[in-house]
Parts: sequence; structure tokens; C-alpha cells
Amino acid sequence: MIPSWILDIFAAIMLVVAAVSAARLVAARPWRHGAHRAALADIDLAHLLMAIAMAGMLVSSLQTLPNGAWEAIFAVMTAWFAYRVVRDAQVSGVRALAGGHCAPHLIHAAAMLYMFMAFTAPAAHSSGGMSGMAGGMSGMGTLQLPLLAFLFALLLIGYSIWDLDQLSGPGASGHYSLAAARVATPGPVLAGVGASAGPGTAAGSALASAPADAPVAEAAGQAEAVQVPPASAPADGTGVLAPWVATSCRIAMGITMAFMLLIMI
Amino acid sequence: MSEIAAAGVRPARRGGPGAGAEVSRAAPDVRRLLQLGLAGIWLLDALLQYQAFMFSSGFNQMLAGTASGNPGVVASPITWDAKLVAHHAVLLNAIFATIQLLLAIGIAWRPTVRVALAASIAWSLGVWWFGEGLGMVLTGDASPVNGAPGAVIIYALLAVLLWPADRPGKPAPFTAARAVGAPVARALWLVLWLSLAYFALLPGNRAPQALHDMIAGMEDGEPGWLAALDRGAASLVAHQGLAASIVLAVALVIIAAGVYLPSPAAKATLVLALVVAAVIWVFGEAFGEIMTGGATDPNSGPLLALLALCYWPVRAVIPATARTAPAPVAAVDEGTAAS
Repeated sequence: MIPSWILDIFAAIMLVVAAVSAARLVAARPWRHGAHRAALADIDLAHLLMAIAMAGMLVSSLQTLPNGAWEAIFAVMTAWFAYRVVRDAQVSGVRALAGGHCAPHLIHAAAMLYMFMAFTAPAAHSSGGMSGMAGGMSGMGTLQLPLLAFLFALLLIGYSIWDLDQLSGPGASGHYSLAAARVATPGPVLAGVGASAGPGTAAGSALASAPADAPVAEAAGQAEAVQVPPASAPADGTGVLAPWVATSCRIAMGITMAFMLLIMI
Repeated sequence: MSEIAAAGVRPARRGGPGAGAEVSRAAPDVRRLLQLGLAGIWLLDALLQYQAFMFSSGFNQMLAGTASGNPGVVASPITWDAKLVAHHAVLLNAIFATIQLLLAIGIAWRPTVRVALAASIAWSLGVWWFGEGLGMVLTGDASPVNGAPGAVIIYALLAVLLWPADRPGKPAPFTAARAVGAPVARALWLVLWLSLAYFALLPGNRAPQALHDMIAGMEDGEPGWLAALDRGAASLVAHQGLAASIVLAVALVIIAAGVYLPSPAAKATLVLALVVAAVIWVFGEAFGEIMTGGATDPNSGPLLALLALCYWPVRAVIPATARTAPAPVAAVDEGTAAS
């Protein structure tokens, strides 16, 4: 049996991730910045939902929604990120899978969907649905298709390690930190892009949707068209909205998700 | 010069995808990528250590089992350790798993890569003795097919070879030579693979049914498709223990000598090493038995493959100290920037 306090620790980390993601959503006020900006809240919304779901899977007293609801939510989320990855791939090819902004989120969402759909509760808990999962994590429940669980765990581990490296490097890009905006962006246009072109930001989306042969200025112009403030704007890209905060949440979730997958094999 | 420019960051393609978002994407060198591979395996190892089985009496029984057949001086500390784990299973296993988690994070986090690699060497040596019974190399039961000379000692070897330093002098012909020099790196490779060839020819491994029994024994608890795969492989080598051992040993000797050959031949032997590592991992180790829920690590297959990649010939890597340009990429990328 896995000691419950270990599951409690992971659940607590997920609650922190949920709280941070909620704070990011509130601070970004996507509902006040038009459809573009609202669409870009998908990363934080995904983090929020996944963290709440995982906390409930780890500790049964933290359950919120029935299994069916979570399956529906993660099915929609998986489809959404798959759509965004396809869009990215149309622009940047296979790089979208390896280093794109949405591929890790697609894997996260798909892994969540898999966990909810493949979970086999132990006989004693079969009537409790996911309520048996906390017990299952102590050795009573398993996942069907364990090879899939293993592959998802490997992918999550890979993305988490890559994120850790990029987050800690002196060459960390705008995708991860504000360093790019501080040192590598001579003009105001690119400064805005560099500061806020993290996963799911307006600039990132505008650039992703720009034609591959579009000049930088044109692509950046699209970024400005959706009213992303420049790097110096404190309301976007600093504090809780800093890109590294979202990346840190993603690392925590990736490791926790891989942990859950492996202990339920 | 900006910090990023000094770090040798790949410039953005003008107007290319994510021209702004990835304008300063870091471009880790090969050694850094291999370090990240090592960090990934440590992370997998750590998460496996959190499995329910490891908190049960099965774990300390597994530890105690490694004392069997070892000389007393080796076995006694293992037995003591197993008893200690039996009495404090939850606490000690949680500590073990957390240490490995921290090693993984430390290697992936650039400013702490040196500390984490050094700690991983010490940890690996401890686990090699207390957790793996020195890979059973002193018992006569070690086999390259089931993980000899102990997966964890390969972690230590990789940490040494991927140490973020460059020797002054001649450019390194492959990544593993950057920290310790080509002669030492080649010698380490030779010793490892020749020892595997030796283990393959031990009497216990060349018996007619030895390899068959070893592979067939991996079926328990595996998913149906993997068990069927194991059964098929086992039937192929049934009563062919001697021939299979000789073929395997010859392949291992060729691999051992490969790093001394010219680049094209060396590449061919490294490909052979990757294939052998994959065959061992799939058929001999059943993916480290991860899908049984009782694996403490992914076993030696992935580590042997990662090791082979460390020896892949690369364009000459100029040691940092031989350069005149400031802030070489390798030094900055691998955590020395923090020092």
C-alpha cells in the first residue's frame, strides 16, 4: 500500500497548481479582452481542471465531479489541443510536436482522458467508481492497457525534464521566461511578442496562425492586433502571469501525472 | 553582448513559425541532451520507486535476495540493509524515492547539474551494493540478458562520462570523451562490454536451457502480448543455450572493440550496440518488468542505449579552454553559468 500521506502531498501540490492557475485566469481577465484573449486562457483553464481532477483522484475526499463529467471534459480538452497542435504543425511542421506550445498540453489532456477511461476499480470499490481510485493508488486499482500508461508516462517525463532544462537555462526563451524580452528584443514589436508569447498567449497564437513565409513584422502586427501589451507592461508576463509560473505548473502536473500512471499499472 | 547571444542561442528564422515565441529558444548541445536523457531515466526510476510494491515486504525481500551467492563481506551489509528496510519500509522507501526524484530534477536543472551528477554517482554506488548485490557479478549468476553488471552502475558511469567539463588539448571525437578524455572513455567502454561478453559465457548462462528459462521466467505478471512475445523468444532459444551465448558474446566483443575503429565502422558497431540493448530490454528484461507493477528501475537496456549514444562520433568538440571566444556554449548550457 502506498502511504496515504504521500498521496496527500501530491494532492496538495495539485491544489496549489489549481490555485495558481485560477489566480492566473483572474489576473489575465480574458473575458475583458475579446475572443482572442479568451481563447488563450485555455492553458490555465486546462491546468486548473486537470489539477482539480488529479487531486480528486489522489484523495477521494477531494473529488468534485462524477467520472462521466471528467471524461467529457477531458475528451473536449484533448480534441481542442489536438486541433491547436494541427494548426501549429501546419505552420512549423513536426517541430510543433517536439517543441511546440500545445503538444505537451495535448499529451496531458489525453493522459487524463485515458486515466479516467481505463481505470479498473477493485471489486470491493467497483460501485464507487473513481472513489476507488485513491484506494487503487494504494495498490487496489489498475489501468487497462498498461503499455499505454507506460508510454504516456514516458512522454510526460520527457516533457517535464525538457521544461526543467529550458526553465533553468540562461537561454530560456520567451516561451518559458521573460529573459528573452529583456535581452533579445530590440524593437517594441518583438518585445511584446517575446514577453508574452508563452503557451497560449495572444502573441504566440497570432504568430502560430501567421503564414510560414510572413515577415516578422507582419506576424508581430497580428500580435499587436489582439492588443497584447508590450514587455514592459506589468499586467502581462510578470507576477503570477509570468510564463515560468505556467511552465512550473506544467512540470508539477507532468510529474504527478506520470506518478499516477506508473503506480496504477 | 546579450546573455542569450553569449549562450550561443539559435537565432530565429525570420518570419518562420513562432518567430517571436521561439526567437531565443536555447539549443542544448549533444552532451546536454544526453544529460537530460539520464535525468529522464532517473525520474522514471524515482516514480517506479513510489509504487505500492516498494512499500511492502516484497521490497526488502528483493533486497535480501541479492545477498544470496555473494561473498560474506558483500552479503552481510546487504542483509543488514534489508532488515533495516523491513523495519522502516515506508519511511526508507519514501526517502529512497525522493532522493532519486531530486537527482532527476537536479540534473535537469542546469545550475545544479554538477551537484546532482556527483550525488548520483555516490547514490548509484550505494544502491549497486546494497540494492543490487554488486549486480551479482561475484555470484556467477550475472547475465547481460537480465541486467548485469547491474543497471545502477551504468547510471554512475554515465554521470562520469557526461560530467560538464572539457579536457584541454585535442578535440573530443565523441561526447563521452569530453570530460575524461578519449583513452579513458574507450577503456571504460571496453571493460563494460567485455565484461558483458564474459558473463554471457559463464557456465550458468551457456547451459542448454539457461537462456530459455531466463526469458520464459519474465512472463509472470506481464500483459498477454508481452508474455506471448517472451514465450516466442524463449522457444527460439530452447536447448540452444551454448550457441546463443556464443553469438551474444561475439556480438558483445565486436561492440567492445568498436570504439577503437574508424568512424564508419565505429558507427556500425554502435548501431549494433543499440540493437543489442533493445533486444535485451524487450526480450530479456521485458521492459524492465515495469508493466508488472514491481519494477524498481527500467533495468539496463535503456542505459546501455544511452551509453552507446555517448560514444557516437561527432564533429570534433573543441574544449572550452582552447577557445578564445568568451562564454562557450557548452559551459553556459550545462550549468556552469551559475558558478
